[in-house]
Amino acid sequence: MADKLVVTGMGIISGLGVGKNDTLQALLAEKSSVGTITHLQTTHTDIPVAEVRMTDDEMKSALDIPQNQLVTRTPLMAMVAAKEAIQQAQLQKQKPKRIAFINGTTVGGMEKSELFYRDFLDNEQHKEFIAAHDCGAGTDAVADYFGIFDVTTTISTACSSAINALIIGANLIKTGKVDAAVVGGTECLSKFHLNGFNTLMILDREPCKPFSKNHVGLNLGEGAAYLVLETASAAQERGVQALCELNGYANFCDAFHQTATSPNGQGPFLAMQGALADSNLQPSDIDYISCHGTGTGNNDTTEGIAITRVFGEHIPDFSSTKAFTGHTTSAAGSVEAVISILALQNNFVPANLNFTEKMDEVDIVPVTKTKHKEIQHVMNNSFGFGGNDSSCIFSKIK
Amino acid sequence: MDIFIQSAAHISIQNPLCEDWFENPIPHTEGYNRSIEPDYKPFINPIAARRMGKLIKRAIATSVSAIQSADLEQVDAIITGTGLGCIENTEKFLSAMVNEGEQFLQPTFFMQSTHNTISSQIALHQKCNGYNCTYSHRGTSFESGLSDALQQMLLGRINNALVGGHDEMTPDYYNMLGKIGYWKQGEISEQTLKRSNTKGSFAGETSVALVVGTTHTQHSLCKLRDVDLLYKPSSESLKQAVERMLQQANLHVSDINAVMLGTSGDCDFDETYKRFAQTNFPNTPTLWYKHLFGESFTAAAFSVYAAATCLSKKHVPQHLVYNTPKPLEQPHNILIYNHFQNINHSLILLSQC
Amino acid sequence: MEELITELKKEIIDVLNLEGMTPDDIDSDAPMFGDEGLALDSIDALELIVLLEKNYGIKLANAAAGKEVFKSVRTMAEYVSKNRTK
Repeated sequence: MADKLVVTGMGIISGLGVGKNDTLQALLAEKSSVGTITHLQTTHTDIPVAEVRMTDDEMKSALDIPQNQLVTRTPLMAMVAAKEAIQQAQLQKQKPKRIAFINGTTVGGMEKSELFYRDFLDNEQHKEFIAAHDCGAGTDAVADYFGIFDVTTTISTACSSAINALIIGANLIKTGKVDAAVVGGTECLSKFHLNGFNTLMILDREPCKPFSKNHVGLNLGEGAAYLVLETASAAQERGVQALCELNGYANFCDAFHQTATSPNGQGPFLAMQGALADSNLQPSDIDYISCHGTGTGNNDTTEGIAITRVFGEHIPDFSSTKAFTGHTTSAAGSVEAVISILALQNNFVPANLNFTEKMDEVDIVPVTKTKHKEIQHVMNNSFGFGGNDSSCIFSKIK
Repeated sequence: MDIFIQSAAHISIQNPLCEDWFENPIPHTEGYNRSIEPDYKPFINPIAARRMGKLIKRAIATSVSAIQSADLEQVDAIITGTGLGCIENTEKFLSAMVNEGEQFLQPTFFMQSTHNTISSQIALHQKCNGYNCTYSHRGTSFESGLSDALQQMLLGRINNALVGGHDEMTPDYYNMLGKIGYWKQGEISEQTLKRSNTKGSFAGETSVALVVGTTHTQHSLCKLRDVDLLYKPSSESLKQAVERMLQQANLHVSDINAVMLGTSGDCDFDETYKRFAQTNFPNTPTLWYKHLFGESFTAAAFSVYAAATCLSKKHVPQHLVYNTPKPLEQPHNILIYNHFQNINHSLILLSQC
Repeated sequence: MEELITELKKEIIDVLNLEGMTPDDIDSDAPMFGDEGLALDSIDALELIVLLEKNYGIKLANAAAGKEVFKSVRTMAEYVSKNRTK
C-alpha cells in the first residue's frame, strides 16, 4: 500500500491574527476581522476588507529582516506564515533530503507596481521593484529567507491557487521527486484587484453573508497560510508528529465562463466528487465541508447546487469562513485548509457568520453557530476565476 | 512507463505554426521583436475573439494545432506556464487606474489580466473539464508545467496533457525590463550573441503548445524521460542531479549526443552554461536556440520544442549547433539545461522514440 | 433620439470591441442580450454600466438594474435621455 501523505506543520496569518492560536480563538469566539480599510491607499474607503493588522515594517521586525531590505507585502506575509509551519514540522532541525516550496499567488508585487508604475515607465526611480513585480519573485524571496528549499515554483490559478499548490506538492512527493513540500498561498490587498473586483460589481458594501438569501457579494481579505506535507514514514523517521492525513484531492475546470460558474456547478461538482474518489471515501464519510462560499450570488448558488448533486439528501455540516477572514484570494485555499485542520483537531464546525435566511435557488442551510462534534474527515473547497475548481480532504490519523 | 511528446506548435518571431525555422530560420537584428501573427480566423470565431488579447489568440491557435496534430479530440489536462500572464490587459487596467483614478475602469481588462486566463480560455474553447493549472514562476514557468504533467502521468492521474509556454512582451514591459539590464544595445546577430561580453539578450515572444501522452503513436516526436527543477543548486548538486537523471534513464554521459543550452548572449548567464557543459559534458556537442526565438520568461519552451523536432527528424540543423568538441552524431538523446538568472534551473531529458 | 441611438451604437461597438461592425449593423429594437441580436453576456453588461457612468453620469446600483435598461439600444437611449447628468 502506498505511503500516506500527512501534514506535519502549518502556519497562518490573516485578519484574524498571527498564527494558529489567534485563528482558533477568533473562530471559536465568532469574531470577524472584516472592517474598514486602513493600510491600503484607495479612494474606495466605503468597501469593507479584512486586512492583516501588521504593517510591513512590523513583519520585517518580527522576521529579523533589515528595514531597508526590499521585500513586498505578499512575500512578507508568506514568510510569517511559513515560519510557523516550518518550525512546527522541524524542517530546519531535521532537514528532509529534498524540499519543495510550492507557492500560490496572483497579485505578486502589484501593490508596489501600482504605486510606482509611472516611475517604471518614465524614469529610473524605484526600478528595483520592477524585478519584484512577477509572481515568482515573491516565491523565491521566501525561499531565500529560509534557505532550505531545493525546488520552488509558483501557481497562479486565482482564488484556487493555494489548493493547487497543495496538489502539486503532494504529487511531487508521491513520485519521489521531493521528500517534503511546503505548500500554500499568499496575497496582500492591492488597489489593482480591489478595483478589479469592484468593476465586476461583486463586492459587498457590508460584511459578506455567504449562502444567505440577502448575499450581494464578497469582502476581500489578505493573508497567507502554508502546510508542510511529507509521507507518514518520512515524518516518523524524522520523529515529527503528523497533524492529520491529506487523504485526497482533485482539480477540475468548469469551462463555462471566465468569471461565472456554470448553472449546475459542474466544475465544483467534479472537484468534490474527484476528491472523494481520490480519498476512497463515500459522501456520507464527510463530517464538515469548508466551503468556498464567497458571498456572491453566483458562487453560493452554484456551490450549493454542486453540494446537493454530490451529497444528495444527506448534506454534511458546511460553512464558509469568508465572513471571518474576507476572501484572501490566492491564499484562500490554504487559509481555509488550516481552518479545516483546526476544526478536525478541535472537533468543531466553524460558524457561517451573517446568515439570515436560506437562498431561493437551493435548499441548504449552513452551520450558523459554532458546533462542537467529533470530526473525522473534512472537505475543503476552493474555486477560482476561469473555472479553476479544486477540492481536498483532510482526515484524522487513525 | 514511457511518456511521449506527441505534437508541438509555436507562434514566435519565426514563421508561425510551421517548421520553416528548421531549414530557413529568420535572422533577427533588433533588440525588440514581436511574434509573427498567423491568421486566427480558422481557430477562433470573431465574437469569441473580441475580448481576447494577442496572447490568448496565440495560445488558442497553438493549442488547437497541437491537439489536432496529436490526433486527439480532447486532452485530460491543460497546463500553462507564463511568466507574466496577460500583461497587455494588466497594463491597460493598471495604466487606466494610475492615470485616471479608481473610477470608470473596465471589467474586461481585469478579467483578462489574471495569469490563469490563458489556461481557462483554452479550456473554454476546448470545452475541457479536466485538470487545469497555471504556473507563473519566472524563467521556469514552462518547465514547472511540464513537470506537473509528467508527475501526473507517472501517478496514473492523467493519460495526456496539453502543456504550453506563453508570454507576450509589450513595448512598456520591454522598456521596464531594459532598465534592469535585460536587453542588449545595438544590432543583434548570431555572432554578437556568441562573442558577447555584455549583459542582456534580445527580446522575443513565446507561444509553444505541446501534447504529451503515455501512448506511442505514429505521430510521437520523442520520449520525455524526465524533468527536474532546481532552486539555486550548487555546481555539485547540479552535477548530482544530472547523474541521478542519467542513472534513472539507464544512460551514460556518452549516450547524450547533444546538450541543449539556454545560452542567450548575456555574458554572466552564459558563463554558467559554459561551466555546466565543461563540468558535466566536456566532450559533448552543445546546441542553442535563443538566437532564433529570443529571450522571454517561457523561452525554455522552445528548447523542448526544438530538441523534440531534432529527435523526430533524426537530424540537428547546423544553425542550432553552438559548440562541437567532437562531431555531432545522429541525435538519440538530448539533455536540455536552462537557468533563469542563476536562480531557477531546469534539466529535461528527451530521447528518440 | 435617433442621434443618441447612433452615438450609443458607436460607443457600444468601441467599448465591446465588436470588430468589423458599424452602427447600421445593429438593429435599434433587437434584444442586445440572450441568444438573438448582439448576444451580449454579463461582462458586456458591466462594460455598458461603466459606459453609462463615464459618458452620461448615470450610476446603476447593481448589475441586475441593467437588465431593463439594456433591453435594446432604443431602451438604453430612452433611459439615457431621461437620466443623463452630462
